[in-house]
Amino acid sequence: MIKIPINILIVDDEEDFVEMLCLRLQDQGHNVKGVHDGQACLQALQEDDFDVVILDVKMPGMDGIETLHEIKRSAPIAEVILLTGHGSIETAVDGMKLGAFDYLRKPAAFDELREKLEAARKRKAEQEERIRRAELQGLLRRTGDV
Amino acid sequence: MRPNGTTIQLLLVDDEHDYRETIAKRLRVRGFQVAEAANGKEALDALDQEQADVVVMDVKMPVMDGLEALRKIKETFPKIEVILLTGHASPEDGVTGIKSGAFDYLCKPIKLEHLVSKVQQARDKLLWVEEKARQAEFKARMEQQMIATERLASVGVMASGVAHEINNPLAIIQEAAGWMTSLLDKPELADMPRKESFEKALEKILNSVERAKKITHQLLGVVRKTESILKEVSLQEIVGEVISLVEREARNKDVQILGDVQPDGATIWTDPNPLRQVLLNLTTNAIQACYRGARVTILVRQNGHETRLSVKDEGEGIPAENMQRIFEPFFTTKPPDQGTGLGLFVSRNMVEKLGGQLEVESRLGQGSAFSLILPQRTDAPKETCPNDREAS
Repeated sequence: MIKIPINILIVDDEEDFVEMLCLRLQDQGHNVKGVHDGQACLQALQEDDFDVVILDVKMPGMDGIETLHEIKRSAPIAEVILLTGHGSIETAVDGMKLGAFDYLRKPAAFDELREKLEAARKRKAEQEERIRRAELQGLLRRTGDV
Repeated sequence: MRPNGTTIQLLLVDDEHDYRETIAKRLRVRGFQVAEAANGKEALDALDQEQADVVVMDVKMPVMDGLEALRKIKETFPKIEVILLTGHASPEDGVTGIKSGAFDYLCKPIKLEHLVSKVQQARDKLLWVEEKARQAEFKARMEQQMIATERLASVGVMASGVAHEINNPLAIIQEAAGWMTSLLDKPELADMPRKESFEKALEKILNSVERAKKITHQLLGVVRKTESILKEVSLQEIVGEVISLVEREARNKDVQILGDVQPDGATIWTDPNPLRQVLLNLTTNAIQACYRGARVTILVRQNGHETRLSVKDEGEGIPAENMQRIFEPFFTTKPPDQGTGLGLFVSRNMVEKLGGQLEVESRLGQGSAFSLILPQRTDAPKETCPNDREAS
């Protein structure tokens, strides 16, 4: 099975965690960037196209849910996987209702993370495919061919 | 403790036989139960045999006089009230008596009405003293419970705070160790000297992270600032869910799990998540306690106002010295990498939050039964999120 590299953005205020997870996912063949707060996350999404954002729910300053809100406004096709500490599972569920793809409890099992990353990547890819087809149909209609 | 209305037990002490008998007879007519003694020593012996509420005692007696007997009675039977009968020329004996603890005194010759009334007063005082002692004991117990609850609450809060903080460095350790493990698999490191040593050490690190994770997750389950979901829960369904969750583990150990819910369609208004969690904890414990080929039964019975869910195992049972301790946090008889000692502590907490109780019965060599007793309807906590859109 050929593994498709995913463009991943990791957002967490724990710098060591971001560094380790980045290295580990890069090792698996993915393109990974790490940032440490909500603002940097939005900035990164403006500069590059990311498939999946791994987002910590509890961060000082702009917290996870607020950041998620902004992500869904500026880059709605990107899929978001929330990382939660304890009792913030409720926050994670709220986040999913706001459009996050799924959530994982910290410390997250790596295999589970990989599965969710792949599932998220697929969903984004399928949505992008649907968009392309719709755009194509739009083009065809304009030139008179249906 | 004698409640109001029961017969007052009197002991009448006087060396003058006829006088004593007359008074005793007249007191009995009034409805008192009267025992008799001729002097202080006889009085003490009589009280040893059968306790009285009130002692009516003459002061001037041979062998042991009233005052000495009074002192001895107050020493040995402090709750008994004593009424002294003094000679009409020596009321000072009465005063001395009161100073030594007598309830009151009467000068001879006495009027029976006065005696009766004094005896009743003495008995009233007795009852009042008992009531006060009961109230003080109740209050002390309540205060102790409140302190314990507060302490537990603050421990709980602190524990969850600590657990949350620890999750972050745990995540880092896990990622770092996991990364190292995958690096060791790379072709360029195939010939690395002592590679197995590194792999072994990393495996231990990752296993320990798993263990630590279980503890923090369980601790964090103790204090949940979540909203409860109150809905009608089908008991048959929830038992079924728990059984299917433990099926694999049970099969591995060749343990049979049976559900027995009566009546069939029984339901209960409660929060299904903690209920399921507790049942799961208890059932997992039960499976682990069983020998191979044994049986675990989840029994549910419901009478009008109470639901009883019992998880019974055919395991080794719990020794008496542990019965008190099994609900303590971190108490476990399992080896460190298998038990956190938090399961029952957390479960009891959850059950209490549901308004119920968690009890245990056990017999060595036969097995144990853990029972959840829940009221028909769990009281809604302040933040309720009733969610009956889902079919239960």
